[in-house]
Amino acid sequence: MAENNKIIDVRNLTKIYDEGNVLAVDDISFDIKKGEIFALLGPNGAGKTTTISILATLLSSTNGDAVVNNYDVNKDSDKVRKSIGIVFQEPSVDGEMKAWENLELHAILYGMPKKERQVKINEVLKLVDLDDRANTFVKNYSGGMKRRLEIARGLLHEPKVLFLDEPTLGLDPQTRRKIWDKIKELNKSNSKITILITTHYMDEADELADRICIMDHGKIIAMDTSENLKKKLSGDVIDIQLEEINERFKIPIIINEIKQISGVKNVSLGTAEGDSSMIPNIQFPKGMPNISPEMIQARIRETLSDPKKLIIAWKRMPMTTGMFLNAPLAMKKQIADMFDDKLLEEVPDTIKQEIIKIKKGEFEEEEAELESTISISCENGGKQLPLIIQKIGENGLKIKTVNMHQPTLEDVFLHYVGTTIRDETSNHTKDMKRMIQMRQLRK
Amino acid sequence: MSDLNIEKTKINYNAVWILAKRELLSFWRNKSRVISSLMQGLLFLFVFGIGLSGLGSSTIIQGVSVDPRAFAASGIAAMIILFTGIFGGMSIFRDKMFGFMKELLVAPVSRRTLMLGRTVGVALQTMLQVLIIIGLSIAIGYFGYDLNLIWRVMLIIPVAFLASLGIVGIGLTISTRLRDMQSFGLIQTFIVMPMMWLSGALFPFPMQVTMFNPFTYSVDLFRLVLLGVSYFPFWLDLLITGGFGALLIVIGARSFNKMEISQ
Repeated sequence: MAENNKIIDVRNLTKIYDEGNVLAVDDISFDIKKGEIFALLGPNGAGKTTTISILATLLSSTNGDAVVNNYDVNKDSDKVRKSIGIVFQEPSVDGEMKAWENLELHAILYGMPKKERQVKINEVLKLVDLDDRANTFVKNYSGGMKRRLEIARGLLHEPKVLFLDEPTLGLDPQTRRKIWDKIKELNKSNSKITILITTHYMDEADELADRICIMDHGKIIAMDTSENLKKKLSGDVIDIQLEEINERFKIPIIINEIKQISGVKNVSLGTAEGDSSMIPNIQFPKGMPNISPEMIQARIRETLSDPKKLIIAWKRMPMTTGMFLNAPLAMKKQIADMFDDKLLEEVPDTIKQEIIKIKKGEFEEEEAELESTISISCENGGKQLPLIIQKIGENGLKIKTVNMHQPTLEDVFLHYVGTTIRDETSNHTKDMKRMIQMRQLRK
Repeated sequence: MSDLNIEKTKINYNAVWILAKRELLSFWRNKSRVISSLMQGLLFLFVFGIGLSGLGSSTIIQGVSVDPRAFAASGIAAMIILFTGIFGGMSIFRDKMFGFMKELLVAPVSRRTLMLGRTVGVALQTMLQVLIIIGLSIAIGYFGYDLNLIWRVMLIIPVAFLASLGIVGIGLTISTRLRDMQSFGLIQTFIVMPMMWLSGALFPFPMQVTMFNPFTYSVDLFRLVLLGVSYFPFWLDLLITGGFGALLIVIGARSFNKMEISQ
């Protein structure tokens, strides 16, 4: 049977969060073969974690089907749960218990008989090199050790699929490397466990995954092997970093001029900074009805000039939230200026926080740091490079560095999503604050 | 989400036991918590025992004269349930904060199992504390020395368990809905304190007020078992304590079922 080869099969999956009416996952379909390492890659808020949560039966889908190990996630959730192991984005081990006790509790919840339990716990602890720390309280573990313990726990009940949600988030390079090696080892060992991994680290997806699925705004944008994805961007990639300039308005002019050069296929700003308008950057999702781009742009301009209309757009169309967050800083500042405290009350939370930050001027530093890198995808890069540099010189801008290379996965991502992935620092610090509060309270 | 088709009614008793054990273990390991609750109990015993007997007259319940120190001691034993029960039920909130809740929710066991495990764990822990307080009161002679006490203490074990169910239910209900830490103070002010002071646990209080507080009946039940006298008839105490427990457990289970995993 052909069916047997697929361990995960997702058809037209859609998830709308009732709260705030957010479309998190928008009609996606994909399947994962047995023994594969499959990566869901995308910026924060792309819908990766929502997808994994539905597959893990933690959330119900609004529409569409998902089958894991031949069990439907909505109908046979018990069986699905026994077939999967999951490592969550944030730590989910109990620090007040010893490592062994954490695993024992897991084994009992998954209905493992006592004899098997003892043997298996030792086995998985050895696998992640924690057998000598089995009787240490987990609160005394380092971040990497906790992660490894969670992977061990995910494997304890011999699942068919292992879900790893951002497995190396916030870990140091050596630990990341160690965890990658473990993941590869697992996949290559006899059990041939299938692994579904979500990440926003491109190197991680490139290193581990057999196939990569790029998601943005709840949709699948591209899905293929890392090699094939890179092949789609033939030619060379030239990254030009410009020196700090005051005349930022010149950058769009330069970009237009570079686009005229023969062989140049795509020019994008490596950071979200520089372009004075976000309108030309918008990539409309495929399958959108045929409306002329001029009309859409006119509508967007109209919306952008009226804060009340913006609020409605943010509330009704989740895509616009992403557009705002990824917009150039100059644009964001302009928008932020339109909102006074009273209007701000009505703005959805994520955007509200961003606007408050912008008003406080928290982004000045980031702005200077991320200044103006132009990324050009071009056939015969070596030949055209002098011409490009000349164009920039003619406009009176100084070049800091030039870097020409074969396309990386990051360039692929840039090509599809439009901007580079930004790390979600704000949430992380928020969690840390909460943890500290919690500790103080318990004392 | 609540509409997932995990077999909702099936209870995995092994899982209930390990979850209850986890509660007890964390209580035992957290020595500062044990010591502070003991100190609190001792302080209450000391202050109210001495204070009330300093007033001279003995307390009269339904025409029977009672040693005020024994009156306060049995009330304080019941009061311990209120403190430990509500904040023990709040351990769900801790698990939510530290992410452990996700591990529990994704396991192939029903929510009812998780809920029962937690409730039994906290109720057992509460019961232990009650026994310790009663032991202390007996040791310092508040109940007099009488062989009958052995039976009374034995009988208090199931009573303490029953009385703690409702209180744990309150804790569970609140903590599944709670989103931030700031609300802890509110709970102390608006739930724990009124239930404690308006139950007549520490000194006699007008029955016209205490009769509206469900916790009064638990306190009364304690007094009936430990002292042999009570304000309300035995059946009423038992009915209200049991009914209150059942109601809060059902409400707690409901909100537990509705609990979602926030990202």
